[in-house]
Amino acid sequence: MKLKNTWRKTFGEQQRFMLMLIAPAVTLLILFQAVPIFVGGSASFRDWMLYNPKKTWVGFSQYASVLTDPAFLQIVLPNTFVFMFSSVAISLVIGLALALTLNRPFRGQKLVQTILLMPLMVAPVIAAIMVRWMFNDEFGIVNVVLEALGGEGQPWLVQRWSAFSVIVLTDVWLWTPWFTLLLLAGLQSLPKEPFEAAAIDGTTAWRVFRYLTLPMLRPVIIVCIVIRSIDAFRTFDTVWALTGGGPARETELLSIYAYENAFVFLDFAKGSAAAIIGALIILVVGLALYRILDHVRKMS
Amino acid sequence: MIKAKQWAVACAAGLSLLVGSLGSAMAQQKELRIAYQPNPLQEASIDMMLKWGEKNNVKIIKVPNSYGVYVEKMTASLTSGSDQYDVIWHNDDWGQLWAHLVEPLDDVAGLKYADKWSTDPIIFFNKDGKTTVVPMGQTLGALFYRTDLIKESELPKTWKQLVTLSKKLQGEGKVKYGFVGGMDPNSDWNSSLWTLWNNSCDVMKPFGSRDNAVLAKNGWTSAFNEPCMRQVVEFWWDALNTDKISPRGMPAYGRNEANAVFTVGDAAFTVADTTYWSEFNDPAKSKVAGKVGLAQFPIGPMGKNVTLWNELWGWAIPKAVPAERKALAKKMLSDIMLDEDGQLALWKKTGAPPPNAALWSKIAKTDAFMQSLQKYYLDSPHKIHSAYYFANWPAVHKAYNNTVTKAVTGGRSDIPKVLAEGATLVHDAAIK
Repeated sequence: MKLKNTWRKTFGEQQRFMLMLIAPAVTLLILFQAVPIFVGGSASFRDWMLYNPKKTWVGFSQYASVLTDPAFLQIVLPNTFVFMFSSVAISLVIGLALALTLNRPFRGQKLVQTILLMPLMVAPVIAAIMVRWMFNDEFGIVNVVLEALGGEGQPWLVQRWSAFSVIVLTDVWLWTPWFTLLLLAGLQSLPKEPFEAAAIDGTTAWRVFRYLTLPMLRPVIIVCIVIRSIDAFRTFDTVWALTGGGPARETELLSIYAYENAFVFLDFAKGSAAAIIGALIILVVGLALYRILDHVRKMS
Repeated sequence: MIKAKQWAVACAAGLSLLVGSLGSAMAQQKELRIAYQPNPLQEASIDMMLKWGEKNNVKIIKVPNSYGVYVEKMTASLTSGSDQYDVIWHNDDWGQLWAHLVEPLDDVAGLKYADKWSTDPIIFFNKDGKTTVVPMGQTLGALFYRTDLIKESELPKTWKQLVTLSKKLQGEGKVKYGFVGGMDPNSDWNSSLWTLWNNSCDVMKPFGSRDNAVLAKNGWTSAFNEPCMRQVVEFWWDALNTDKISPRGMPAYGRNEANAVFTVGDAAFTVADTTYWSEFNDPAKSKVAGKVGLAQFPIGPMGKNVTLWNELWGWAIPKAVPAERKALAKKMLSDIMLDEDGQLALWKKTGAPPPNAALWSKIAKTDAFMQSLQKYYLDSPHKIHSAYYFANWPAVHKAYNNTVTKAVTGGRSDIPKVLAEGATLVHDAAIK
């Protein structure tokens, strides 16, 4: 009764109503986000093998084990950054080109727009399995086309850079529509007047793009880059289904490293430490990107 | 008024009778929850459980789990002391990992009919010397060949003969490749590992030992620096790059890709689990249906005997299950070991030798495939266990597979360097 009175005194009727509305979402967030992060964080400081969870405190030794692992430093981290940079950069360029194309009216524009958005509706793991067969050296359509054109079929998933390229290509295919959608929305919200003035002055299309469209669209582009970079950094399903990190760890990303340690080698502590190191890295990268975003906003 | 009272009493009596009878029915209907991975072999074994459940008024509840997360999920369930499952899928790969978490099953009467090799104490016994598994069926890799292209008398006895025959068939345009088999970390039994064991070699030293004390005494040493290992890697390098008897993309192949090449008729030989026998001979799924035979593994330059493996998939009972349900689960597992009709159906559906080894000879009387299987595999004295039984084996296996993959996809002159690096990786993975 006392608690009820305090609750009533502290919050007004409207505030209580708002708190009640957000309560289910907050509960879910705590249960499925905060608690697992806390458990994972705690595990990373302990001796916690899944088959024998002693849970004894070992300080930072799991972190030291990850940070001194040559595979982590020489393969996993470089792969993760190369993947993040290449996937985001290529998706952005293609997405922007498509958004510019769709921003001008033409016959069947809505149909083309709908078709272009279809990859967004495909689960990444399904796309990855599909691409794995497309690039199969015996049955894949890619080699069939290549051979029909007089080239030689390649074992795409056997060499480092060809396998890596296939992964990036899949990710680009999956995420370019997302860039297109957001950039198109950004383009359609730009004021018309500067473009009309440029048209009256007889400015070339390139100069309009270079000096009007791009600067005015920059805040949207930066937001897209920040969100997508964080997402690309933690990519798992596409790579796991396509190559499993192979051949011989050549396409292993941070998420695969953490997953394998935690759930294949059953070392939950080391896997958690790797995941937390990854989270800290992306936090730093994210903050840097946000600073750039802030700077660009001020400039705009 | 009296009438209303009578009605009320009658309704209350009826309701209490209904609740009572429902309660007693619920009390009589016992349940067993089975955690499994959807797979023809496990489904066939569960069919026997369902039949047993109907007969014994026990409700069998199937709980499917994805293979990709099965071990970690079940390990977490076992270590949490949960009794959410009464019977769980168990196999040799995690036999020792779970030995302290699952119930001893040496009192299951039907176990006396189980195959002795695959129920080896080194795999399934707990520290008190009691077994923790009841088999559901045998899994073994076997060499399949195209009977329309190769006569039984022409079957290769050595790797050299395999290469020569493959090249001949490829040269005549009868097949695109001589041999195909999975090579990724989940399927390298079908490529590098069978050649390893048939060249008198092994992943770790001493060769053939699965005793952790012996492996520890030898310093958890990898065999990557041994000549037998180099021969294996060079054989596969040549097969992929110079002899071209196998597809160049094979180092990335899993079972699906390898089986696709064989069933489309592009390869003369493959190594696959015997459970694929029915798929290879199903005209709806295979262009080589009815043209597939079983052969022995050819041996390498240092190989002394044809060596093979024969492991089991089985069932276990978590320790945390209440005593009454444990007893019921044990009775069920014992009874299905004696269910002859069910086991024959399992054999027909899957091509996996049934768990009751006494039935193998009976099946062989009328079944040519079982005759070959017994002749070449099941009755062979030269067997090796297809995994190791220490906690870090998954990491060791991954390090082994990565090294072989790197060696066969790199330059031939780099092989010794890659193997030397691999020796360190395997050792480090074993002792971490």
